[in-house]
Amino acid sequence: MKLSVEWLKEFVGFDCSIDELAKSLTMAGLEVEDIVTYSPDELARLGGGREGPSGPVFDVKVTPNRGDWLSVIGVAREAAAILATKLTVSEATAEGAPPPTSSAIEVTIVAPDLCRRYAAGLVRNVTIKESPDWLRNRLIMAGMRPINNIVDITNYVMIEYGQPLHAFDYHLLRGAEIIVRRAAPEEVMATIDGQQRELSSDMLMIADRDRAVAVAGVMGGADTEVAETTRDVLIESANFDPVSIRRTSKTLGLTTESSYRFERAVDPSITVAALKRAAELMRDLADGEIAEGVVDAYPAEIQPLTIELRPERANKLLGWNIEPCEMAQLLQLLGMSVRLNNPLQVTVPTFRSDITEEIDLIEEIARLHGFDKIETTLPESPSQGRECEVNLFEDRLRQLLLRCGAQEVMTHSIVDSSLVERTGLAERVVHIRNPLREDLSRLRVMLIPGLLETLSRNAAFGAKDLAIFEIGRVYHYGRDGLIAQNRSVAGALIGSQWAGAWNLDRSALEADFYLCKGVVDALLDSLEIREREYTAAQSPLLHPTRSAVVRSGGAEIGILGEVEASVRESFDLRGRPYVFELDFETLRFQAGRRRVYRPVARYPAIYRDLSVVVDEDRPYAEVRNAISEAGGEWIERVELREVYTGRPLSPGQKSLLLSLAFRSVERTLTDQIVNDQMARIKDRLTAELSAAIRGAE
Amino acid sequence: MSETGVRDSLDELKTAAKSSIAEASSLSELADIETTYLGRKGQLTQLLRGVGELPPEERPTFGRLVNEARAGLEQALADRRAALAETEGAQRLRAEALDVTLPGRFYTVGRQHPLSATMDRIKRIFLGLGYEIVDSPEIERYHYNFESLNYPEEHPAMDEQMSFYVTDDLLLRTQTTAVQARIMESRQPPLRICTMGRCYRSDEVDATHSHTFHQVDCFAVDEDITFADLKGTLYNFAREMFGPDTQVRFRPDYFPFVEPGAEVAITCVICGGEGCGVCKSTGWLELGGAGMIHPNVFRQVGIDPEQYSGFAFGLGIDRMPMMMYRIDDLRLFLENDIRFLRQV
Ligand SMILES: [Zn+2]
Repeated sequence: MKLSVEWLKEFVGFDCSIDELAKSLTMAGLEVEDIVTYSPDELARLGGGREGPSGPVFDVKVTPNRGDWLSVIGVAREAAAILATKLTVSEATAEGAPPPTSSAIEVTIVAPDLCRRYAAGLVRNVTIKESPDWLRNRLIMAGMRPINNIVDITNYVMIEYGQPLHAFDYHLLRGAEIIVRRAAPEEVMATIDGQQRELSSDMLMIADRDRAVAVAGVMGGADTEVAETTRDVLIESANFDPVSIRRTSKTLGLTTESSYRFERAVDPSITVAALKRAAELMRDLADGEIAEGVVDAYPAEIQPLTIELRPERANKLLGWNIEPCEMAQLLQLLGMSVRLNNPLQVTVPTFRSDITEEIDLIEEIARLHGFDKIETTLPESPSQGRECEVNLFEDRLRQLLLRCGAQEVMTHSIVDSSLVERTGLAERVVHIRNPLREDLSRLRVMLIPGLLETLSRNAAFGAKDLAIFEIGRVYHYGRDGLIAQNRSVAGALIGSQWAGAWNLDRSALEADFYLCKGVVDALLDSLEIREREYTAAQSPLLHPTRSAVVRSGGAEIGILGEVEASVRESFDLRGRPYVFELDFETLRFQAGRRRVYRPVARYPAIYRDLSVVVDEDRPYAEVRNAISEAGGEWIERVELREVYTGRPLSPGQKSLLLSLAFRSVERTLTDQIVNDQMARIKDRLTAELSAAIRGAE
Repeated sequence: MSETGVRDSLDELKTAAKSSIAEASSLSELADIETTYLGRKGQLTQLLRGVGELPPEERPTFGRLVNEARAGLEQALADRRAALAETEGAQRLRAEALDVTLPGRFYTVGRQHPLSATMDRIKRIFLGLGYEIVDSPEIERYHYNFESLNYPEEHPAMDEQMSFYVTDDLLLRTQTTAVQARIMESRQPPLRICTMGRCYRSDEVDATHSHTFHQVDCFAVDEDITFADLKGTLYNFAREMFGPDTQVRFRPDYFPFVEPGAEVAITCVICGGEGCGVCKSTGWLELGGAGMIHPNVFRQVGIDPEQYSGFAFGLGIDRMPMMMYRIDDLRLFLENDIRFLRQV
C-alpha cells in the first residue's frame, strides 16, 4: 500500500527523519519497502495539481494478518505506538438537515452471517466535478486515478480509514430499498467495469427492490453508478465477511481495493465514522446537503475482546524478564486497555481482530519492545544429531558416482510432457492440475530425459564430452493408485572421458556401453551387490540391441545402455549418449549392510591363460559361469583380456582370451592340481558350450 | 736391470697412466685403464715382479716407490671415476627430461552440485547442534501443508503460497514446514528435527524467482524452549555458514504457524552491512522466516502448549550459494551449464 508522508503527518507528529520513521516501522513488522518522492511537476503530469501536496510516499508491505494497517490512520496509529506519541483523529459529525436518511432508504440484511453491519447515508444536490488539487494529489500518490469528486471521496476515505465505501446514484435505486442478500440462482449483473457477471448463490449482493446493484464488497453495478447527471448520492459503508468476499473475488477473478481490504478484515466500529467523513467531504467538495442521520443496520454489535495475559508466561516464552507494568504500557500504546491484575486483563480494540488469545498479546509485547532486546541462548539437545538412513544412502551413492568422475547435476521435477512421453510410462505420470503453463504440467517419471536435456544444452555451448549424474525424486502412480515419490539415481555419458588425452588413443575412454556398464558395476560392487544379472532391456529410450536391464536377487535394479537414435535426435545430440537409471529403494534394500573380513590368502596364486572359441552370439556370461562352476573352490579370478572376431576364425565365431587365477587359502597349489582343474574347465566348455579351446596354455 | 733403469720405467709408467686416466671419457674406458695398470697382469704389477732382479739393499726402497705409485694411480682413478659418474648421470637425466608444463592426463573429475553441497554443509551444522535429519515428502497433503500449520480456510496468507495441485487433497508442498505435524503427531517431545528439500510455488521463473526452490526447516520442542533459544540457534547457524562476523537480524513478520513470528536476515556477505547493490543498500539479506510454534499447531497434534514450547524456522537454501558465490541468477542452479557447475 502507498501513502504520502504528509497525509500521515495529519494524524501523527514526529521529530525523526522520514528514513528513521521508515526504519522504525519496518522493525515493528510494517515494512516500508520503498520511499518514492513526487514533485509537483510529476503530480501535475499524472493528473494532479501544482497547488496540492507532494513529497515522499511510503510503499508499505502489509502482512495478511494486519488489515488494520491498510489505511493512513492505521499506519499513523502504529507510528504513534512506536514513537510513544499521540494519534490525532478528529471525528466527523456530519450534521444533517431533514428529511432524514431513514425516510429515503430502508436497509434489510437478509444474510447477517455475511454482513455484520450496513450503514447508508444520503447527500443531496451534489455537483459532480473534478476534485481539488490536494485530494487528487493524495490519491495519485496512493496509486489511484482521480475520476470525479464523488468517486474520489469514497476512495479517499477508504485509504484514510481503511473502510471501503460505495456511492450509488440514489435515484437509480428502485423502491427506496437496500437488501443485503445472497445472489439468486443464475442471477447476472453488469459491474461498473462494463463486464457482465454471472453470479452464484454463495455470493453476497447488494440489491434494491428489483435487482442486484452491487457485488457486496467487490464492485458496484453499472446501473446505479454515479455519473454527471447524479443529483443525490447514497453512501454505503458496510462490514462484510472476509471469507465470503475472498471466495467471491476469486470466483469472479476480480480483486479490487475494496475486496482486498474486506478479505483482511475491516474494523466494524468505524463503519459510521467513515460514512460521516465521506458525507462531510461531499458537503465541502461537491456542494452537497447532508441528510439528517444515517441508517445503521447492525444486528449484533461486536464487542471488544478481553484476554488474560500471564506476565510470567510471556517472560518464559520470550526468554527475557520485563515487569508486568511495562508490558501494560506497551499494550496501552497499541490502543489496548489493561487492568493491572495478575494475570493482566487486556481489552483489545475491535480494529485488532487478529488478536484473539494470550500468545497474540505476547507477540505484540515482543514486537513493540523489540526482538533485539531478547538475548541469545543455545538450547541443549537431548540427544546427539542423527542423519536419516535414506539421506545416508543418498550420500553414499553420491560419493561413489563422484569418485567415478561424474559431475552432479540437479534438474527440474516439473517438466514438459515431451520429456515424459518418451519414457513409455506416460499413463503413470503425475499431472499438475493447475500448471503455470501447459508445458510445465507433468512431474518427471524418470531422470534420464532431464539428463539428456542437460547434455543437449551443454553440447549447444560446446561441451560435448560429459559424464553427469543425478539423484532425485521421480513420481508416478503405482498399481495401487497411490503416488510413489521415491528417489532414483541416473547417469549419462557422452564423448571422451579424458580430461586431456594428447598422444593417447582417445577412444580408450570414449563413452560406450561398456564404460557405462563399468560405472554401474563399480557402483554395485561398492554397494556389495555381487549377484547381478544383465539381460536385454526393453525401454523406448534405449537402443534395442545395446541396452540391458540389471537384476539382483530377482529384483529389477535398473536399466542401462545406448540412447535410442530417434530419442537422441529429439534432444539434438550428435554423439552417442549412454545412460543408466537405477531404482534407489531397490539399491538400498539390496546393498550389503555389514561387511565381514575374510582372511587374505598367504599362499601364491597360479595363473593360466585360456583361449576359447565360441559362437558369436553366445553370451560371455555363459562362458564365465561355466568356468567358475567347473573351476572349483580354488578359482580366484576370471579376467577377460580380449574378445576377437575375424580371421582366422570362421564367420559367426569369436574368441575370448581369459586369464585365470587359482589360489587356496590353506596351502600352496601344485601345477598338477591346477592342470586338473583346467582340464575340467575345458571339458565343460567343450561339452556344454560347443567351445573350441585354442592352443596349448 | 739397474736401479736407475727400473726407476725410469716406473716414472714413465706413472706418466703414461695418469695421462690416459685424464683422457678417459667414460667409466668403462676407465675400468680398462685400471686393468691395464693395476690388474693382476697389469703393468705396475709386472714391474713389482721385477724387484727380484734388483740388489737386495735396493729392494725395499723400490717396493715403497711402486706402492706409492699404485696409491697415486688409485687416487687418480677414483677422482676421475667420480668426475665421469657425475657427467654421465647428468647426461642420462638430460636425456630423460620432460616438459613439466605439458598438461596432465586424467579422466575428467566431476563436482558436487552447489545446492547439494550447500545442503551437506547445513546438515553438518544442525547435526552438530543435536538435530535429527528426517526425510519428508514433496507431494504433500493439503492438511499438512496448510491446515495443520494454522492456515485458516480461505486466508490471504495463502496468496503467498500459490500451490500446484495434483488432486483435491494433494499438492506440491510449498514449504518444508509441512513436515512438522507429521513428526509431532507420531512422536513426543523433546524434539529437535531438521528436514530439507524441494518446494514448489506457482511463480513465474526469473533471475530471483522460480516455481521450484529448496528449503531447510528446523524445529525444536521441549519444556523450556524460548525465543532467545531461537535467536541463539540461528546466530550459531549463520556464523558457521557465513563466517564469524555475521550478524543476524530478527524483524517481526507473519506466518500463521509461528507467534511471535520473525523474518531472519544476515549482514550482507558482499558489503558486510555497509549497503550495496546486492542488498539493495539495506546491508541485510533475507534468509527466511522463524518464530515460536503457534499454540494451535500444538493443539492440533495433541501436544499441550502449556507444558511445551518450541521454535521453528525455514530458510531458503538457493539463496545461500547465491550469496556465497555472488551468483546473480537463480536459474543457473537447475540449468546445469557445466561452465557454471565447474566454478562453484
Ligand atoms: Zn550489501
